Amino acid sequence: MEYLYYPGCSLESSGRAYDESLRAVFKALGVGLKELADWNCCGATIYMSVDEAASVAISARNLAIAEGDGARDLIAPCSACYTVLLKTNRFLKESPELKAKVDHLLKQAGLSYNLSVNVRHPLDVLVNDIGVEVIALSAQRSLEGMRFAPYYGCQIVRPERGFDDCEFPVAMDRLFERLGAEPVYYPLRTRCCGGMLMTTFPEVALHLVDELLSCAAENGAACIVTTCPMCQVNLEAYQKRINSKLKRAHRMPVLFFTQLLGLALGCSERSLGLHRSLEPLTVTAGAAAGHGGQA
Amino acid sequence: MSVNGNVRTGVYICHCGVNIAQTVDVEAVREFAARQPGVAVARDYRFMCSDPGQEMIREDINQLGLNRVVVAACSPQMHELTFRRACENAGLNRYLFQMANIREQCSWIHDDRKAATRKAEALVGAAIRRVAWHQPLLPRVEAMNPNVLVVGGGIAGIQAALELAEGAGEVYLVERQSTIGGQMAKFDKTFPTLDCASCILTPKMVSVSHRKNIRLLTLSEVTAVEGYVGNFTVTVRQRARYVTDKCTSCGDCTKVCPVHVPNWFDELRSQRTAIHKAFPQAVPNTYVIDKQERPPCKEACPIGQEAAGYVALIRAGKFEQAIRLVRSKNPLPVICGRVCYHPCETECNRGFVDKPVAIQHLKRFLTDWEMTHEYDIQPPQPSERHSEPVAVIGAGPAGLTCAHDLALRGYPVTVFEALPAPGGMLAVGIPEYRLPKRLLNFEIDYIRRMGVQILTDRRFGRDFTLEDLERQGFKAVFIAIGAHQGLPLGVPGEEARGVFQGTAFLARTALGIPQPLGPRVAVIGGGNTAIDCARTALRSGATEVSILYRRSRGEMPALPEEIADAEAEGVSIVYLTAPVEVLSRDGRVSGLRCVRMELGEPDASGRRRPIPVPGSEFELEFSSVIVAIGQRPGTDALASALEGIALARDGAIQVNAETLETTRKGVFAGGDACLGPATVIAAMGMGKRAAEAIAKYLRGEPLRDFTTHMVQPRYRRGESFRPHSYAPLYRDIERAERVPMRKLPGEERKHDFREVELGYSEEEAMREASRCLNCGVCVECMECVRVCEPKAVDHGMKDETVQLKVGQILVASGYRTFDASRMVQYGYGLYPNVLSALEFERMLSATGPTGGRIQLANGSEPRAVAIVHCVGSRDENHHRYCSRVCCMYALKFAHLVKDRTRAEVYNFYIDMRAFGKGYEEFYSRVLDEGMNVIRGKVAEVVRASWSQQEEGALLVRCEDTLIGRFREIPVDMVVLCNAIEPQADVEAVRRLFGLSRSPDGFFLERHPKLDPVATSTDGVFVAGCAQGPKDIPDTVAQASAAAARMLGNIARGSVEIDPVRAEVDEKLCGGCRLCNTLCPYHAIEYSEQDNVSRINPAVCKGCGTCVAACPAGAITGFGFSQQQVEAELEGLLAV
Repeated sequence: MEYLYYPGCSLESSGRAYDESLRAVFKALGVGLKELADWNCCGATIYMSVDEAASVAISARNLAIAEGDGARDLIAPCSACYTVLLKTNRFLKESPELKAKVDHLLKQAGLSYNLSVNVRHPLDVLVNDIGVEVIALSAQRSLEGMRFAPYYGCQIVRPERGFDDCEFPVAMDRLFERLGAEPVYYPLRTRCCGGMLMTTFPEVALHLVDELLSCAAENGAACIVTTCPMCQVNLEAYQKRINSKLKRAHRMPVLFFTQLLGLALGCSERSLGLHRSLEPLTVTAGAAAGHGGQA
Repeated sequence: MSVNGNVRTGVYICHCGVNIAQTVDVEAVREFAARQPGVAVARDYRFMCSDPGQEMIREDINQLGLNRVVVAACSPQMHELTFRRACENAGLNRYLFQMANIREQCSWIHDDRKAATRKAEALVGAAIRRVAWHQPLLPRVEAMNPNVLVVGGGIAGIQAALELAEGAGEVYLVERQSTIGGQMAKFDKTFPTLDCASCILTPKMVSVSHRKNIRLLTLSEVTAVEGYVGNFTVTVRQRARYVTDKCTSCGDCTKVCPVHVPNWFDELRSQRTAIHKAFPQAVPNTYVIDKQERPPCKEACPIGQEAAGYVALIRAGKFEQAIRLVRSKNPLPVICGRVCYHPCETECNRGFVDKPVAIQHLKRFLTDWEMTHEYDIQPPQPSERHSEPVAVIGAGPAGLTCAHDLALRGYPVTVFEALPAPGGMLAVGIPEYRLPKRLLNFEIDYIRRMGVQILTDRRFGRDFTLEDLERQGFKAVFIAIGAHQGLPLGVPGEEARGVFQGTAFLARTALGIPQPLGPRVAVIGGGNTAIDCARTALRSGATEVSILYRRSRGEMPALPEEIADAEAEGVSIVYLTAPVEVLSRDGRVSGLRCVRMELGEPDASGRRRPIPVPGSEFELEFSSVIVAIGQRPGTDALASALEGIALARDGAIQVNAETLETTRKGVFAGGDACLGPATVIAAMGMGKRAAEAIAKYLRGEPLRDFTTHMVQPRYRRGESFRPHSYAPLYRDIERAERVPMRKLPGEERKHDFREVELGYSEEEAMREASRCLNCGVCVECMECVRVCEPKAVDHGMKDETVQLKVGQILVASGYRTFDASRMVQYGYGLYPNVLSALEFERMLSATGPTGGRIQLANGSEPRAVAIVHCVGSRDENHHRYCSRVCCMYALKFAHLVKDRTRAEVYNFYIDMRAFGKGYEEFYSRVLDEGMNVIRGKVAEVVRASWSQQEEGALLVRCEDTLIGRFREIPVDMVVLCNAIEPQADVEAVRRLFGLSRSPDGFFLERHPKLDPVATSTDGVFVAGCAQGPKDIPDTVAQASAAAARMLGNIARGSVEIDPVRAEVDEKLCGGCRLCNTLCPYHAIEYSEQDNVSRINPAVCKGCGTCVAACPAGAITGFGFSQQQVEAELEGLLAV
């Protein structure tokens, strides 16, 4: 099995650990990952409201290259890239006029795109293509004792309806339960983390993040496990600020789900990028525990 | 145009006030019209549909001799009929009229006056040219059958039925459930008057049951509808109620029924018994038994024993009733409880969850209980007596059962047994430690007390023949001599002393005849007989016993528990080994020469064939050898006695599989004698069937339609099915360990013949019985039959099919509610105190699960209740429509909560819809009572405190749009107002009655404003929520309207069938039958004889599909002929 892989810009910068752990996990499972050649920004910016056709064409360039490579599936780990690429596919499928414009633009770059590429999230690929049972067979250690809060973020299951329930997704719960971990009660699993607002309206975003952290801590989670680099940064990097501003005592490790999965599959901490965590997860033999919790 | 003679057309242009005149220059159009060929007069007028307008047309027809009329006005859907009638009243055939729509299709959609006028001229010109080609058509008149069918017994169906009964012939009211009443019967109070729903509904329900010309068919569904308006033939399937109308509704049966399942009437929140009445005021007042599938245990048993029944009775502690139930079918329960191979357990559905229920051990428990209690087991007395004596040869299980059943039927029976003691294999095959002989004698004694004579030491062939029996006056014979003759090994040296046949060895042990075995014994074989021989040999003094079996363990036919018991006693089993020679010293066995085997391809039995491995021979020392490799019936010795009776190659007696007759008249056979070495229960099954066959034979009846059981093959479903419709899936049922059977310890027990298994205690039995899943709900334990004084319970009732002839049909099939678990964010099904509207209604009702008390799952009173509107309604993701009643019942709930508790009430609404009579006043009143209203759709319902440990409180998170704030409101209970949606099978019902559905999924009325009760199918009407969500006042109004319409048709006595339909020109029809399958109304039939297709004029609705499709152009659509359509096109293009 081999998949074409679209890292996206976040995974080369603040989300580097996601890229590292994703590659490590796929390698441990013996599934090939080939990086998309000459990929460009997915278009998850406000340029969409400035010039729709150009924005979609920039996004579609990636899909055109993927199609030219003969691929059917393109893995996009960042939730924003995932959503935008799916949206590009849908727009092109639904609007022939837009497609005509985009085809024209692509042609000038010597490319063409015929809507044959499926954009997949790695969680979808792992749980539905490879399968939870197969992963369980490859597990080197049990995650027993690990209580985690599964945080999916808002973009992975909506607005583009995909591989899980849009109100209550359970893919991560299923995967990690099978590996021995225990998902805590987490009703905020698809609640917004603030996204870009952390830079433009921090007073709003900090409150949102505070709720997400508090809920996880109160329910006894040792860490929050997430699928999106934006969410991960928002939840992890601003805990000190929230602590001082809102008089809290958050010390919650925030992991990418591929990092936790990699631990179960026996990958080394370094290969999973765990050394980049601002709030480290304390890993003990056999089980994993952390500092998570509100005083 | 010189077509159709002299055409004189009158053209009338309507202003429609300003609707048309504002945009279209009606004067100009009139002038244009006047210039058209064939037009005798052209007028314009402000309101053509008014009285003066219509009068104008009538006068012109009479004065000017008009023979065609065109009106240019609104849509034909509005007034075509009006003008047609106007023409008709003036004496002109109504079909010589054409309407041009210059309003909806012209003036209402255009702004440009010039262009609109030109378009109007084109439309009018087209109509004028077309109408010249119209023919006068006469509608068909058919008789109207005064009987009517009402489908659905909710308030709509009940109201309609009562009104129809005033003027119709027979009113058939068909209802799927066991009672009429529909959803309304579940309500507590109704808005806005707060009338109690039952108080206003039940008098009507009772009226329905009392009206002489209303025939109520409950538990019924329509399966086919044929015919057309005035003459429908409807097929209705009526499921069996299993209770006759002798039922007095006393309820004694529910007190003894051991099966409890969730109650659909209480929205699955309470339990009811299998025999039940839906609710106290149910009509009909008769109870009903919920029987779903036949339990697999009963199906698998060769005698059809009611295993589920007695297991349920054990669970309820009713041991006496249980053993009576067992003995009603089984004459040898003590034996079966110990030695049966229990096919019931193999089929037991509990096996999909964990292990099958230990049915055999439970049966044994009952027989143990029977024998230790002061319980007088009298065999039942036969209801009639006959004089024809019957002879049974062989007192084994087959013979004893046959004798028992014949005695029950009143026949004198004599059993002839060759051995000194009766029982057959039960006496001389099964060892004492499995079946103590005193128990066998107890059983046989029971049969003797029925009057059956058992004569021992009478060997068939030696002491008597069939001719002797005939001379002695026996009118029928049942041969059940078993298969006692052991098969020889077929190896050299077999004649040595110390080589025994297994069956002979066991028989002599049973009869107390000593047999010296020596210390080392070999038993050859792998079946139950071999195991019995081995364990008996241990108890007879042998120190080392080995079983030699030529295949591997997996292929051993013996019961696994028997094999395990043998090993626990120290028997060693040597696999893949077979003897090739018996070694002897001085004529006495000294050992065996054996060869190793390996498994090859499967043989006829499906097991892999053992193949000797060359050069693997070896020797073993033994002092005795017991051969138990198979048995056959001892028919060789009886060759002359069995003259005229066909035998198979292996000696088995050949019988007819259904009747068990042999080839000799009056002689039947069964058991091992026919099957070869089989099982006790299979022999008993044949004994029962033989008794029934013999009884029919003696009465001179044909030998068919048997009621005794023959096992049917069953399709087994897996873990993702459920035992019955209320049960969870097999894989979701909680596991429970099977209660183990206590046995004597292996080392201890192998020295004597004490019974090894010790039996269950009462507590163990009841615990094991509670693992039964009640597949099929009713377990046929017959307790209800026992306690019913009027003897109204009849488990033998069957489903019936009736055909009804009616003239009109009213579909009032009602609604179901939206499954709120589809909106995950509201937590229905996840949190215990989130209820659906109907569940809350049941909670409020005095006959509901809490007796009218509003309480949380833990029994305490709520401090705050949230009522969430629009769950599934007004929602793009689910239903876009408004369910109409929820705002009002939400207010009703709020009022009742405040009335009965001290809780705060929060109503979360989008718009408050209080549109009806008294509704707004009710809203004000409830507001005054201090209800909190928050305008905003609820986003989610979550647990109030994040931590999972604290139970109960819920948080409703929503936006309060009136103050523009986000709010989180803690409550204890949430009530969801689920949308009203069409029934689950709405599509199948739609097809059945030839209806259409509107985009919201409900049945389509003919016109939403002007004709809400008729449908596009003549003769079929619709009323109530089946047509769209509505409250009770509107439902009753619509039902009454439908009834009035139907009564009007009945009063007229005949029905006019619209002549706008198609007809086949048979000269042109080539018999290709293309049209047959295209007709959406199934109106076209093909005549083989004439090789043409013919259209049924009564069913054809004139849609034109066949007209277009016919490749020969042989079909004409009246009112849509080729010339008419072409003329119309000409007119349109001429402008």
